[in-house]
Amino acid sequence: MPAASAIKVMVVDDQTSMRAMIRRTLQDLGFRDVRDKASAIEALPAVQNDRVHLIISDYNMPDMDGLEFLKAVRADPVIGKTVFIMLTGSSEKSVVQKAAELGVNNYVVKPFAPAALKEKIERVFGELN
Amino acid sequence: MTMSGPTKRIAIIQGENAVVSEPGTVITTLLGSCIAVCLHDPIAHIGGMNHFLLGEPGRGQHVAAADMNRYGLHAMELLINAMMQKGASRLRLSAQVFGGGNIQAAFGPIGTRNAEFALRFLKTEGIAVGQTNVGGAQARKVEFRAWDGIATCALVAQAPPLRPVAQFRPPSASSDVELFA
Repeated sequence: MPAASAIKVMVVDDQTSMRAMIRRTLQDLGFRDVRDKASAIEALPAVQNDRVHLIISDYNMPDMDGLEFLKAVRADPVIGKTVFIMLTGSSEKSVVQKAAELGVNNYVVKPFAPAALKEKIERVFGELN
Repeated sequence: MTMSGPTKRIAIIQGENAVVSEPGTVITTLLGSCIAVCLHDPIAHIGGMNHFLLGEPGRGQHVAAADMNRYGLHAMELLINAMMQKGASRLRLSAQVFGGGNIQAAFGPIGTRNAEFALRFLKTEGIAVGQTNVGGAQARKVEFRAWDGIATCALVAQAPPLRPVAQFRPPSASSDVELFA
């Protein structure tokens, strides 16, 4: 049973308010090391330079969307196996399917309740304590 | 260029949004304590409006996923994303904010809190706010000419009836999207 406090997380979302909400949710779940970036372009070098265990990324972002970000992460020999959870909108089924092809570990449909995020993380890491 | 004599009207209720890029279309809604935020990209001529019931859940508050889209935090995300999908640039967006009336004393200053949330959200996200018409104790009717970004807001005597929130439908097990059981 992994300790949430030992899992390093990078949250990527272009909306400051959404990042703050996800950070709060993760902290309430026991995560202590939560970083965030407003774009995938900023997040990619950040996780390459300082590895994390879990990336939670929005799909719908300008410049580099979540799929492009996922593809870049998976192509990196060092961080390629980092757990990646994608946040998508309700009407983006094709995005989920494409993300699965690219190796996403799970996805969460926005808007989501905190319990839904916890459930998806636990499906990858196992039950958190 | 501005348009006169709009020919198409789109009425939205709480939990919904509409984004249009065609001239001659008006998005309308009726507000009590709810908030409507109108966003506009003046270069792409894309405009959108949402209508949300509450600002954001309290920390630790348990909210069902199906109820999350009545909150402004998600309503704003959906609206901004819909605007961008139509071709709007986030950097060019400006906002107008309406509603937030404290219609029923029994509910306390819920309208005021909703308006505060909307203005705080827009400030946090760096979206400029133009016209605002919030607070007070009356209902409002908002009409937004999305193509040219012109909104009008009129006080009305009657608060809108409470209607069911438009249902958010996450992909179900039968929708072939659950790939990670």
